[in-house]
Amino acid sequence: MDELKFRRQAYEDPHNQDPEFLAQMRQKSEHQTLVNELKGLDAKLMHALKVDVPEDLADKLILRQQLQQHHKYRRQTSFLVAMAASIAFVVGISFSLLRLGPVDLAEHALAHVYHEDIALHIDQNVNVNQVNAQLASIKNLGNVKFTQQPGKVYFTSYCDFQGVKSLHLVVQGQQGKVTLFIVPVEKRMVLDQTFADSKYQGIGFETAEVFILLVGEELSDLRYVKEEINNTFI
Amino acid sequence: MKMFASWRNKSVGPTVSSDMMSKQRRYNSLVKALHADIFRYAYWLCGDKHVAEDITQETFLRAWRALDSLKDDKAAKAWLITILRRENARRFERKQFDYADIEQDTLEDSQGNSSEELVEQYLIRRHIAKLDMEYREPLLLQLIGGFSGDEIAELMELNRNTVMTRLFRARSQLKDLLEKTDVRGQSNG
Repeated sequence: MDELKFRRQAYEDPHNQDPEFLAQMRQKSEHQTLVNELKGLDAKLMHALKVDVPEDLADKLILRQQLQQHHKYRRQTSFLVAMAASIAFVVGISFSLLRLGPVDLAEHALAHVYHEDIALHIDQNVNVNQVNAQLASIKNLGNVKFTQQPGKVYFTSYCDFQGVKSLHLVVQGQQGKVTLFIVPVEKRMVLDQTFADSKYQGIGFETAEVFILLVGEELSDLRYVKEEINNTFI
Repeated sequence: MKMFASWRNKSVGPTVSSDMMSKQRRYNSLVKALHADIFRYAYWLCGDKHVAEDITQETFLRAWRALDSLKDDKAAKAWLITILRRENARRFERKQFDYADIEQDTLEDSQGNSSEELVEQYLIRRHIAKLDMEYREPLLLQLIGGFSGDEIAELMELNRNTVMTRLFRARSQLKDLLEKTDVRGQSNG
């Protein structure tokens, strides 16, 4: 190793532990002196470089990180809440869409009779023209109407069959009152020919444009009203 | 909602929080072990204690966010310095400073005892601060970071010979400057 290279290496790193460098150092006392000087310089430099570190710096570093982490956690939590809310929303929408599935008319007719109990107890003495006016205002019902008074009509009202606007009548049967539903034909509706529960009998039939459901206590009344309708309803 | 919350707490919660805990512990030890070196390195890059503190904060925040990418804790110091150097470069893009002109007026503090030592230390600090950045930085990496020539070369993306040349020049400049001021001091006194 030549002189120049040795000096260079000493300046590059006086603590060099390379055996060749150490051997060269021991050869001459000037070499040893130079290395010692440079080591002394390094010690001074090291000391000078050690500026005071702010006492609370470590705590600050941890605090700032934890604050940031806290904000991030808050963001994640609100994201989860938003996620849950939108899942709930989708579930809600799906349920209301499922209502578009098949509709069992008979079941609804019976439920409706029980629900609107009052219809069987009042007497509005409805004129056939009034019923026809109501029929005309229902969409998808075509031009159906009664040609003459179908016996005594006690009650008339619009009603809702799973989102389908329909007509709810109470008419006089042979003995008792009969509830009559006129529902526009829709594909998703399922109509039973006859149905019943512990109290009421029911029959259903279909004309070209409407479903008709009759509900009453006696089957004979139902047959009577059905006959009446066949004669007066077109 | 309640269902989601309890599901989160029961099945995911514990592993997430224990992961978080060990990450937090790792971060805390990183801060404790290395914050002084990082701060000093930042200080000698920028010459201002407040700016150095800002850079250190930003460096450790970035380190926290990327902590999972640090595989080997032995490489932590080099990793942090890489982040710090990038952070410092970003600062330069934002605002152009000429650090050679900045007087290091925050240099008064000292761990030395005698006034003679104080004066000498003050002088050394001024000389280090005035050293060109290209010579100063390899020296900082060697003395504060304790890195070898190869490691410095890798950190600074230079070849080893360039690094060694700069170290040589840094020391010879400092040595000359100190000898000169010594002589001047003696002749004045």
